[in-house]
Amino acid sequence: MDMGIGLWCLQSTATSPRSFGQAYQELAEDARLAEDNGIHSLWLSEHHGYYDGYCPALMPAAGAALAATESIQIGTGVLLLPLHEPHRVANAANLLNEQSSGRFQLGVGMGYRPVEFEIKERDMSQRLKLMNAGLDVLRTTTQTPTWVGISSEKAAERAGRRGLGLFISGAFSKDVVNTLIQAHRTAWAQSNPSGDTPPPVGLLRNLWIVDTEAERRQALDWVRSSYLVYAGLGWGADNTGVDFVSQIETSMDEVEKSATVGSAEEIATELDGYDVDLVVCRIGYDQPPRTALTEVIERIGRELTPLVQDLGVQW
Amino acid sequence: MRLLLDLRRISEPAERERLAREADENGIWGVVVTGPQGGECVEASAIATTTHHVTIVVDVDGNDVHPTTLAEEISVLDQITQRRTMVIFRGTSTSKATIATLLSGLPSQGVILSPPPAQASIPIQSPEDIPQTKLPEDVTQLATIIDQYRDSQTAFLIVSWERPIKELARHAVGRAASTDFPQMVADMADQIDPID
Repeated sequence: MDMGIGLWCLQSTATSPRSFGQAYQELAEDARLAEDNGIHSLWLSEHHGYYDGYCPALMPAAGAALAATESIQIGTGVLLLPLHEPHRVANAANLLNEQSSGRFQLGVGMGYRPVEFEIKERDMSQRLKLMNAGLDVLRTTTQTPTWVGISSEKAAERAGRRGLGLFISGAFSKDVVNTLIQAHRTAWAQSNPSGDTPPPVGLLRNLWIVDTEAERRQALDWVRSSYLVYAGLGWGADNTGVDFVSQIETSMDEVEKSATVGSAEEIATELDGYDVDLVVCRIGYDQPPRTALTEVIERIGRELTPLVQDLGVQW
Repeated sequence: MRLLLDLRRISEPAERERLAREADENGIWGVVVTGPQGGECVEASAIATTTHHVTIVVDVDGNDVHPTTLAEEISVLDQITQRRTMVIFRGTSTSKATIATLLSGLPSQGVILSPPPAQASIPIQSPEDIPQTKLPEDVTQLATIIDQYRDSQTAFLIVSWERPIKELARHAVGRAASTDFPQMVADMADQIDPID
């Protein structure tokens, strides 16, 4: 399996304020660092109208990261397709791939914040219809590799029928992940009986490489605190049955349980058995000092990537 | 008067980047770029990443797009360019007014950009606000054209130029900026440091 890093949200949060100019400058620096250390891809994330500047326009940000690098893939994990005009997304994706010799990956999702649909004057109850209409446009207007962010078997099946890749949320167990993948591949095989290689599957994981128990506790605290952002965004961890906002501590306990924190060898062992093409290490938290972030990027590339290259799906 | 080098008709991405870098290095005030609808800020972002000083003037199609979406793209671009963004907007006056408000950091119909623009306010122009011309190779003719635009209260002039960028910088930038440009200095520079 390939190793990517994410999610670069380019925020200035209440817990870790910074200038936005610095955030965008560091995006280019981080992409170069990841590239130099053999990491497969860097993934960006999108929201609209949030106080902390959470990046609302991923395509220009991807353009900057691609222009600053030569070989790493840059992806959107994910662009909220129902909030955009699909023909513009396709045009931008095509241009990014033209400029970068095919290094752009387009991950798309539906979005879940009512305020974002209000800002864009779209009916959130129609988001599935908007999503499907958008995917129809992308199918005929771009050859860009497209991944769909999903959290249910039905959504996995829809992506499979369309021949699109999967981008799976970070908080699921191995059994749930592999069930989603199976649904995806079955639907793909039924729709493409002559196909030989199913579309790829990417898995987001909360992940950090540590050497000591103290570092492990610190990393888990960073993971927990990072979900304050999601609580603020109104995100709910559907699969846990817990109301993320009103039961924040319980929610964070669930998030902590799903995190993969340990030595590179321990993490590789944990990742064995995930039938995926790509793992995106979610390390773009807002609390770690910059030195810790750059160190973990280097370690993911140098220590973890060689250990997992023969894991995952093999075609 | 400030000169904006027109890169919109340069088809090769590598050639656009080369010209933008030369404009950057030689003190041209701005370069004008565009892209397919939805890709305009992507192109501008790539050019911004390879330059440091030159203003990135992005020519955008504001039709068939929610004004907030376009304003978000421009605001992010302004963070990437580090305050070097300027906009040529093609679309309805209503959309332009909404986008101009948002790009000033002000709310429009309850929406405010986040992140805000890096500049206090991102300049937004209509195509008809900025004249454009293809400059001649002949230095005397070039001087006449620059003088005419400058003396008619033109703030920005989009120029097409097919010769070395350094030559444009030597003969036109100072003349555009000054009413008493010493042409003799530029002519002597041509002798001391000939441009191929």
